[in-house]
Amino acid sequence: MTDAYKTSVIDEIATYRPVLFRIAMLQLRDAAAAEDATQEALLAAIQTHDKFEGRAALRTWLISILRFKVLDSLRQRQRQGMPVDPGQLSVELDTAKFATLFDETGCWATPKDAWTNPETHVSRIEFFRVLEACLTKLPTNTSRVFLMREWLELTSDEICSETGVTAGNLRVLLYRARMQLRSCLDVSWDRSQ
Amino acid sequence: MTNREPITCQDTTWLVSDSCERELTAEEKADLHGHIATCELCQGASKQFDVLFQQIRLFFSKDIQPGGDASE
Ligand SMILES: [Zn+2]
Repeated sequence: MTDAYKTSVIDEIATYRPVLFRIAMLQLRDAAAAEDATQEALLAAIQTHDKFEGRAALRTWLISILRFKVLDSLRQRQRQGMPVDPGQLSVELDTAKFATLFDETGCWATPKDAWTNPETHVSRIEFFRVLEACLTKLPTNTSRVFLMREWLELTSDEICSETGVTAGNLRVLLYRARMQLRSCLDVSWDRSQ
Repeated sequence: MTNREPITCQDTTWLVSDSCERELTAEEKADLHGHIATCELCQGASKQFDVLFQQIRLFFSKDIQPGGDASE
């Protein structure tokens, strides 16, 4: 491996700082903690970058390193706990917002020809950008528990003890996250056609 | 099979989300697939959910293990 190649990988790693910070922020909801996790992930990546082969997957590799740093951060904060704000939670659990998706018989209120077909030729970079934007639009607690589940792969019990939400409310929040992401991407798929 | 009430589109979306969390029962699977087979809207939605779940896995891909001190 040439020095020039090493330098360019390190430069490229550094360009991922903003996206790593945004993802850490979605999970940790604390700028200082997200900044620390991002910094530690970048340092670990730069220290071990010679073990990394295949630059196409650089983003994937960096996100997997960040995942361990975010898990560490959550463990460190576990002593204090990070309970959800009950007022904010009740807003996110409010059913009224979802009432418009379905009619009174439980059938989709969407007209039949309104579905967009997701089989469009969106590039991976474009799709990452859109999905990140949609994740950012999720309410605070909804995105927090959704990332704990889908990214950190914590168990339901772990998420409930970390956040103080009940198993029943966790089920609702994960449902809402998936429904809102589908709606958000539906609009994006539509635009890209 | 007993004569159960047919499930709605809304019920279907709950089963789709629950199926990410746990194995559905045989009865739930039959309800889900039975409804989707006969409902064009849910066919469209289920295609979207498939793509969404696939994209989420890609977004948070953990296929490559980091080296160094990052492991547990
Ligand atoms: Zn349906």
